[in-house]
Amino acid sequence: MTSRVMRDFDLLLPESVTEVVTLLARHKDKSAILAGGTDLLVALKFDYAIDNVISLALVPGLGTLRFDPQDGLVIGAKVTVAEILKSAEVKANYPALWQAAQVFATPQLRNTATVLGNIMRASPAGDCSLAILALGGTVLLQSTAGQREVDLDNFWLSYAVTARQDDELAIAVKIPAPPSGQKSAFRRMTRTTEDLSKLGAAVSLHMAGNVCQQARVAMGCVGPTLVRLPAIEKILAGAKVTTELLQDIVGSVAAEINPIDDQRSSADYRLKVAGVLVRRVIEQALDNEGNVQ
Amino acid sequence: MKHHAIKLTVNGEERELTVPSNRTLLDALRDDLGYTDTKYGCGTGECGACTVLVDGVTSINGCLTLAATMDGRSITTVAGLARDGNLHPVQQAFIDHDAVQCGFCTPGMVLKTISLLADNPAPNETEIRHGLEGNICRCTGYSKIVEAVQDASDRMQGTGE
Repeated sequence: MTSRVMRDFDLLLPESVTEVVTLLARHKDKSAILAGGTDLLVALKFDYAIDNVISLALVPGLGTLRFDPQDGLVIGAKVTVAEILKSAEVKANYPALWQAAQVFATPQLRNTATVLGNIMRASPAGDCSLAILALGGTVLLQSTAGQREVDLDNFWLSYAVTARQDDELAIAVKIPAPPSGQKSAFRRMTRTTEDLSKLGAAVSLHMAGNVCQQARVAMGCVGPTLVRLPAIEKILAGAKVTTELLQDIVGSVAAEINPIDDQRSSADYRLKVAGVLVRRVIEQALDNEGNVQ
Repeated sequence: MKHHAIKLTVNGEERELTVPSNRTLLDALRDDLGYTDTKYGCGTGECGACTVLVDGVTSINGCLTLAATMDGRSITTVAGLARDGNLHPVQQAFIDHDAVQCGFCTPGMVLKTISLLADNPAPNETEIRHGLEGNICRCTGYSKIVEAVQDASDRMQGTGE
């Protein structure tokens, strides 16, 4: 037996969504959902304890990754980051998400970790989560009482806390169909490539020629949750994207964010470079090659 | 704590075992079934020493997988790669290029290389380095490993493996 032994818990292996929500209704905050497990099992090896771990391994129907030009993208609870990376439809329609998947953790973790699990972790350093925030995603929650949807703007309440109730199962995240002219990109800064982000930015821009009609601009590692930058979105809305406009944005980002000192970076450094990162992610979105540099 | 009766096919051999809920796949392989060729490094999915292949060539971290969720799955460890007494071309390339020093990362590196080459049979150096992220070697500085992967790619394409 190796060190970092997990605490005792009962692993439950339900075989349908109905069975999962029934178990959740019974065990509520005495239970945790296991999808990929790359966050949960690490937590269980350290300071986290829970009586019941409810695995989705045997639950059918949660592995859907479906794109429809009208309805957009549905990512089921068991869809892994590696599956996102293999999807030509995601790459073509949601470059920000594809680019986040490309640099997400390591190949082994991408083969196991789920996109929805990344959202449920509610970390300000979540890469796929940040891209999906910029793309305007909505989480679909189910309980014995029925289903409800919560958009990501209202989903992360504080660090590691979401709007999910104890008896709810997150079954999918939905992303709207991209309107024609939508450009998106994701970009992050790390010490080494497999490290967690020290700073991340993602944008979704609705372009008509070189005029940005509407924008969603989001950042990671600048507060307790991932955040949008409304002041930057306002600068972009209806504006021609010029070098001067981008320079204006570089100077306006610091006032919108509230980073801290931690083991990955300092607040001071993050405040200094955040504006440049936002400029670069906008340039990356507008570059049709979509290259991640 | 609950216990779970499961079947795993390891290196082509069907094995039955009973595991407690919190047993990782890595511990089940090493401690219950004796596949000590799979290594324990960090226990948190960062070093890749515990890499195994699932249902073909998908690489995962054994330390971050619960054994009880793997019922019916097929696992390949590095001990299952040789055929008729001949090492797998990736293993042979690692030996020929001195890509092994202390050897602790090697099982994971070899399996990860097989997974990488299945996805991309002729990777360039950048793709090899990106593909091997998640497997840490503290001895070699990686140069010899990259050379071994390039050579393994050439050999496998040459032989159509």
